[in-house]
Amino acid sequence: MHRLRHLLGLAILLGAALGAWWFVSVLRHLGDRPGLALQVEFRDARGLRAGADVRYRGVRVGVVRSVDISGDGNKSVIGLLLDPPGAAHACVNSSFWIVTPRFSGLTGGATGLDTLVRDAYISFRTPDDHGSPLMAGSLLAGREKPVAAEPDALEDIEHGDLLMTLLVPENHGLRPGSAVVFRGMQTGDVRSVDLAPDGTHIEVQLRIGRRFRQTVTDRAEFWVARPYVSGALFSGFTVTDMSALVSPYVSYYSEAGKGVLVQDGYRAAAQPARPNHEVADVPASALRQEQPKAPASDESIALARIVYAAVEKDTFSADDPVHFEGSGLFYFDRAGRAVVVTARSLVDGTYTVQDAFGGDPEIADEQIKVRLGDGSVLRAGRVWVDPNGADLAVLVLEDVPRDISGTAVSRLHLQGKLAPDGEGVELRRMAPDGATSVVPLDKPGTWPESLGAAVSAGNLVFAIYGRSGLRSDNPAVVSLELLPNDLRPQ
Amino acid sequence: MTSDRSTDRGADTAIEFRGFGLAHRRAEGDETLLADVDLVLQRHRFFLFVGTSGGGKSSLLRLLAGLVEHREPPPRITGDLLVFGRSLDEHHERAHDGKVAAILQDEGLLDELSPRANVELALRAADRSTKLAPALLAQAGLPDPPERTAQLSGGMRKRVAVARALAASPELLLCDEPTAGLDGEAARQIAQLLRAAHDEDEQRTTIIVTHDIAAFAGLVDGVLVLDRAQRSLRLEGPDYAPTGTASLSRDKQVDADSAALHGLSKLLLQLGAIVETVLESLKRLPPFELPQTARTVWRFATEPALFVAIAGAVIGGLATFFGLRNNPIEGGFENAILTGTGKVSTAVLVPLLSGFFFTARIAAGAAARLGTMKRTNQIAALQMMGVRPADYLLTPLVWGMIVAMPLVTLAGVVAAAGAAALAAGLVSGISTAGWAAAYFQTVDATDVLVLLAKTTLSGYLVALCCYHLGTGPKRSGAEVGEAVNAAIVQGMALVLTVHAGLTFWAYA
Repeated sequence: MHRLRHLLGLAILLGAALGAWWFVSVLRHLGDRPGLALQVEFRDARGLRAGADVRYRGVRVGVVRSVDISGDGNKSVIGLLLDPPGAAHACVNSSFWIVTPRFSGLTGGATGLDTLVRDAYISFRTPDDHGSPLMAGSLLAGREKPVAAEPDALEDIEHGDLLMTLLVPENHGLRPGSAVVFRGMQTGDVRSVDLAPDGTHIEVQLRIGRRFRQTVTDRAEFWVARPYVSGALFSGFTVTDMSALVSPYVSYYSEAGKGVLVQDGYRAAAQPARPNHEVADVPASALRQEQPKAPASDESIALARIVYAAVEKDTFSADDPVHFEGSGLFYFDRAGRAVVVTARSLVDGTYTVQDAFGGDPEIADEQIKVRLGDGSVLRAGRVWVDPNGADLAVLVLEDVPRDISGTAVSRLHLQGKLAPDGEGVELRRMAPDGATSVVPLDKPGTWPESLGAAVSAGNLVFAIYGRSGLRSDNPAVVSLELLPNDLRPQ
Repeated sequence: MTSDRSTDRGADTAIEFRGFGLAHRRAEGDETLLADVDLVLQRHRFFLFVGTSGGGKSSLLRLLAGLVEHREPPPRITGDLLVFGRSLDEHHERAHDGKVAAILQDEGLLDELSPRANVELALRAADRSTKLAPALLAQAGLPDPPERTAQLSGGMRKRVAVARALAASPELLLCDEPTAGLDGEAARQIAQLLRAAHDEDEQRTTIIVTHDIAAFAGLVDGVLVLDRAQRSLRLEGPDYAPTGTASLSRDKQVDADSAALHGLSKLLLQLGAIVETVLESLKRLPPFELPQTARTVWRFATEPALFVAIAGAVIGGLATFFGLRNNPIEGGFENAILTGTGKVSTAVLVPLLSGFFFTARIAAGAAARLGTMKRTNQIAALQMMGVRPADYLLTPLVWGMIVAMPLVTLAGVVAAAGAAALAAGLVSGISTAGWAAAYFQTVDATDVLVLLAKTTLSGYLVALCCYHLGTGPKRSGAEVGEAVNAAIVQGMALVLTVHAGLTFWAYA
């Protein structure tokens, strides 16, 4: 037993000697591992320590082996060892920087916040045009500041996303990747931030996800979110947009049913400060339990009666009321929303009227109401107008009765003209009392009361009856093929 | 009283008492054992030495043997005591140059050596060939002794002790109760053995302290009688038979407490003993008893290795495991945790734990062994053989501690590192290279030097502590236990002090 104990002890001592030799070997050959040993100079090592990570696109690809002072004492020299996968991405034009918490002022945002609770580390990025591979032992100049997010770090643009430009007087810390927020929810991101060619403002390219593009109308108000204090000494203060303290973002607000949807390339000027919106309560309709919609009958062509009222404001004369009435075609689009497609000239004063001096009108206080076949009268708002000026618009209805059915998709023809004009073509319209009527298109006297009427041939609706252009008095048949995919029927 | 006042004081005289007096020093005053003894003992005589209990027979025998207890006040001697014409005083030690051998109570056989090795050790100390050992054992009636001393019966132990005592061919052979604990037949055989050994050498004088006069009937040339009441020593004829009610039971050891000094004298005596131990350790640092030193180093290095390695692995492994596992920020502070674990394990925790274990396991064991050796006269036997106890016991102990403790501690550090690497891989998937870079980031040569300094210095001090406590006077098994307890407590205090001091000195 004694001998066994001694032999066991001897084995342990020998094992420890082997273990020590192995540890020493690991440490000695740390730099000999397959990989790339580099040196990077910084003015300040920012507390970086040997053993810290080296990351590429957030993935650990190496380790910091040493932190030393340069011979002249002016720089810190960081010794890195990149694993083979990391070494493959390290090129002569790679940028290395130390990730530690960095604050760029209240509006400049913050980066490296993860290192508040983690050790500092080194990150590097290599442009798409990879330069020559680095040689082992290369001495590089590190960047003192992090590299800004690059386009390839942003989410891909998907078909249907809205791309627009926001004009701001000055950049308040926005950078590629900054969020675009609607009602506190991120709906998109900033793609780029550039100074305008004439230097008068900053152009911020925005991407709004296609799911959210209906939230951006020409009435939407944009602003760059910054912490905002409101209230009074005795009533108490409220601080909004506090989160922008460390990460500025773009916010916007729009109300459903107001304004028209914008197109790609839309340009909007940002508000100088957060508008003092009275945020409306959650609509009562949202509280209703979802009920299945009545299936659309294959035979049904659902019409709607539309009443448009607005005021054209005049500076030097009395305001002029604007009032139109007409028809539209009612159906449910792909997103399940109740929409009415009609003539834009019927629902958009700017498209139809002129001011007292023959110029562009200033339309205010728009109201659009829609009467459906069951007699219900609903509020509506434009969600889309044809970007090329054709007399076609789509309204979205609010508080739609659950049991109402729209036009069956089988009764719609969305691929151009079904028949030559005036030959076997009928207008389907709804009278103010809700009665529907069908009249031949060539019958005199149907103009202009039939604006927005559905144009059908052989029981298939293929167009909307409108005008031939902006402020034109000439009738036109506007094909439904102009409808964007998102607003086409289910 | 019949004093044999010899007129021949030349070469035929073995021992001569001239107005000799012997007294124990006591706090309340000396206790006289003998007074004004004038007596001459001739060479080549075989004497029995009898007397009443507590009369001082054993004290006189130890005095003749040159066995001096340094930790206690020496007996007070008056007059002259001449051994082979050389005067002894109370401070002499081993003054007979190998002419005197003694078989003490409990025989004093070295238990860790075989019977043959015991004899060989005595032969080597006497500068004689160790090949004589089988012959000596055969002469003592043990031609084929067992391998282990512990396997010897009482009678066999006496025979080995006789063989060992004869190894130096002593001119004066002193025996203290050589037949104690033996039955009549066995006692008689030992008596005959001693007589035969006596007769082999014409120059040999033998004095046997005994209460068993019957066992030696017809074998003796005279009987020394110590009369406690008269404080006298006289020589009777070979047919002497005790009379009266005087007890011939075994003498009792002098009560240590009653013999001890008090106050400042006691303190000075203790301090002096400590200083003597320290000086002895330095003076005798070269490993004169190389085999014994090598055995001790081997034993100290291999016995605790398993425990220290496991303890190191537990420290390094669990500290890393729970540090990473309970890290509230997943992935955060990993380097700091690994670096801290490596530094504190290497420089502080493992060395400290190793020091504690060496103290509790090895040094306390050594203290127990030394105490037992002291209690059973093994150390006295070494002295009688001419082997310095420091050479045979202290030096190996010191070398064992200052070599094995750093070695085993380094093994513990390696085990801690290995377990930490394993834990880091299991918990956080950290590669060995990444772990090594962080774990050893702040571990440098200074830490290793501090580790070596801590373990070497504390090992040396603990060895001194255990030797000093273990070889102090031991009159009972309880005193051995007390020495072990003291060795553990004081040894750990030394370890703590050294580690705290060197840690503060090196890092603060």
